[in-house]
Amino acid sequence: MTQPLGIPKHQFLESVRRSLQRAPGPPESPHPGLNDTLVHLEEQAAAAHRRLQTARPQLMDQLARVAALRDWHVYRADGPEEAIGYLSSLSSTLGITQCVRTAQDVFEEVPIDAPLLAQGVSVTTAALAAGTTRESVRTGIAEAGLGITGADYAIAETGSVILLPRQGLSRLASVVPPVHVALVRPQDVVESIDDLFLFRSLEYSRGGGDMGSYLNFITGPSRTADIEQTLVVGVHGPKEVHMILLG
Amino acid sequence: MADVKTQDFFAASQASVLDPVLRRALVKVGTGFDGSRRDAIQEITPQRWEEWREDARRIKAHTMDHLDYYLDLLEQNVAKAGGQVHFAADAAQANAIVAHIAQTRGVKVVTKSKSMVSEELSLNPVLESVGVEVFETDLGEYIIQLAGETPSHLVAPALHKTKEQVSQLFYDKLGLPYLENIEDLARAAREVLRQRFLDADMGISGANFLVAETGTLVIITNEGNGRLCTSAPRIHVGITGMEKVIPSLRDLAVFLRLLPRSATGQRISSYVSMVTGPRRASDEDGPEEFHLVLVDNGRSTMLADPELREALYCIRCGACLNICPVYKKVGGHAYGWVYPGPIGAVVSPSLVGLKQAEALPQASSLCGACREACPVKINIPRMLLHLRNELAESPDTQVKATSDSATLLARGYAWIMSHPAWLRFAHRAARTMQKPMLLLPFSPLVKGKSGIGKARLPLLSQWTRSKDLPLLPPRTFHEIWKKELSKTPPSPPAGA
Repeated sequence: MTQPLGIPKHQFLESVRRSLQRAPGPPESPHPGLNDTLVHLEEQAAAAHRRLQTARPQLMDQLARVAALRDWHVYRADGPEEAIGYLSSLSSTLGITQCVRTAQDVFEEVPIDAPLLAQGVSVTTAALAAGTTRESVRTGIAEAGLGITGADYAIAETGSVILLPRQGLSRLASVVPPVHVALVRPQDVVESIDDLFLFRSLEYSRGGGDMGSYLNFITGPSRTADIEQTLVVGVHGPKEVHMILLG
Repeated sequence: MADVKTQDFFAASQASVLDPVLRRALVKVGTGFDGSRRDAIQEITPQRWEEWREDARRIKAHTMDHLDYYLDLLEQNVAKAGGQVHFAADAAQANAIVAHIAQTRGVKVVTKSKSMVSEELSLNPVLESVGVEVFETDLGEYIIQLAGETPSHLVAPALHKTKEQVSQLFYDKLGLPYLENIEDLARAAREVLRQRFLDADMGISGANFLVAETGTLVIITNEGNGRLCTSAPRIHVGITGMEKVIPSLRDLAVFLRLLPRSATGQRISSYVSMVTGPRRASDEDGPEEFHLVLVDNGRSTMLADPELREALYCIRCGACLNICPVYKKVGGHAYGWVYPGPIGAVVSPSLVGLKQAEALPQASSLCGACREACPVKINIPRMLLHLRNELAESPDTQVKATSDSATLLARGYAWIMSHPAWLRFAHRAARTMQKPMLLLPFSPLVKGKSGIGKARLPLLSQWTRSKDLPLLPPRTFHEIWKKELSKTPPSPPAGA
């Protein structure tokens, strides 16, 4: 770590303070939502969990509906076999020979490696393990025609899948291959962005202030309207995204 | 800092109005992004929209009023996550910081996701001067980088280009076949940039928001280039204006709802990437270093002026551009600096100097549409008036409260409006004369498409330079009132 460049922080902040004609120190009245106590956050989270528990079936329907509007191909799988069946037929339809998956828990519930291998699709796991290097993981991802991930959360309000690094998950697996499939478990579905940030605030508070290096939202395929405001799908990220709802 | 051409606004806007290709490119501004924005508001109900705007404005106002505190908190939390914050007072410092990071770490190739601040600073030429290859990766930015131009819109930088122009550009610069189809053009850019993402040593991004509570940088993109730039290279440098900070993670929710709807009418963008520090030891991949460059570059001047402080609430969605009758006619480049449109007319004078940008506060009809469209309810017309006032009172600008001819015109107007008999006479005379005058040879009035196309008379000639002057109607309101309306019995009051 080098010394910070530019001007020292105190000098920069001093100039801001001069502009504001303000003495150093926190705001006179605390900002709502900032510095919530752990107890308060836990109470709010518990209430949210109860609400989500009761509303689960409706939330699954809402997620399926909104995700489809955001251009996900949504498939509701009744059990792991159906999910695997969907993946197999998708791979053969698209002519996939190489796919990459993350090392998330969901793949213990839905073991996809053997069935895919059986139909001639090689499966690379994008996780550092014995015999792999960051470079080899990356090459595997760059060559894959299909990236398969789980979802740490899914948001019914927006039709988004949320990925966090906590389960040993490559950031590139969902964005580099031209097709992405996300497996969503019912217990990970939340209603709104507010729910997500409440749960993350709680984890942040509990974890002694570590957010993890990233929190990524994925909502539909990569798109652009940069030429003549005309929508085109599949620029730098996947042109096709599938959401498999397990339940 | 980026070249300043704000002083040329009037000449540039006239050239824009006469440019048929630009006119064609600008046609969709009102219907495209702005139409979708309106649909998105209707969908969630205008009432809900209003609540979100109030929330967002309250958060921004609170943050700006305590900006030093939140910047301090942000710096502490970025450092706690293993990242490093650098503070830059001006463009030169900011560029030097990024160049220094690149040079000391042997960086050869940089991929960039869209950053208006880096356009403001003119960062790319500085990096190129120390031997670094820089690739813009947002499709719009990539197009204008190839063309050697500057952005003309906050959200869609290449909005001024037609697909034919982009095709020609890709043909000339990339040696690609002439592609007529927009989809093929986007695909071609994907192919060209794909390898760059994986080769780059350093990724540079802007920031839509910075969360002080957690030390998190938030970028919102649709293409996926932002995620690639911040995930693949070994170094990530975020560079942004100091006003982008918000207090807490939970404050972010409302902005994630407002920004995409205001920008493109999308309910959410494809990718929201929230980055907190470099990769941890347990991560599979991600940058080894995370740097955040916070830029002042004139913003503290805006902060110090209570009249202009709210311009710093701006989330750069571009809604005020898409709805502005001036922007829709002249396009972004006429404004002469990085930030175009109504918000640019406020921000540019503050950042490049009011004297230099004295034309911009005049580039508005003060219709108020920008304020209506703004997701954080920035009162842009009020600030434009404030700047006009400052200009009028300042001894060293060209702008006077009124010009001689305008004073004369106003006096004449006041006189005739307070002498009804003369007004009626003048009106009748003008309306009797206008038709025969249009037919006469060598007349000072020449017929146009919808009225008088050319008037060789003082003041009127300026009007007809770029548009027709409508003919006076056959009857005045007074005449219609006297003859018909005054005889219609008034409708009974409600409830009677």
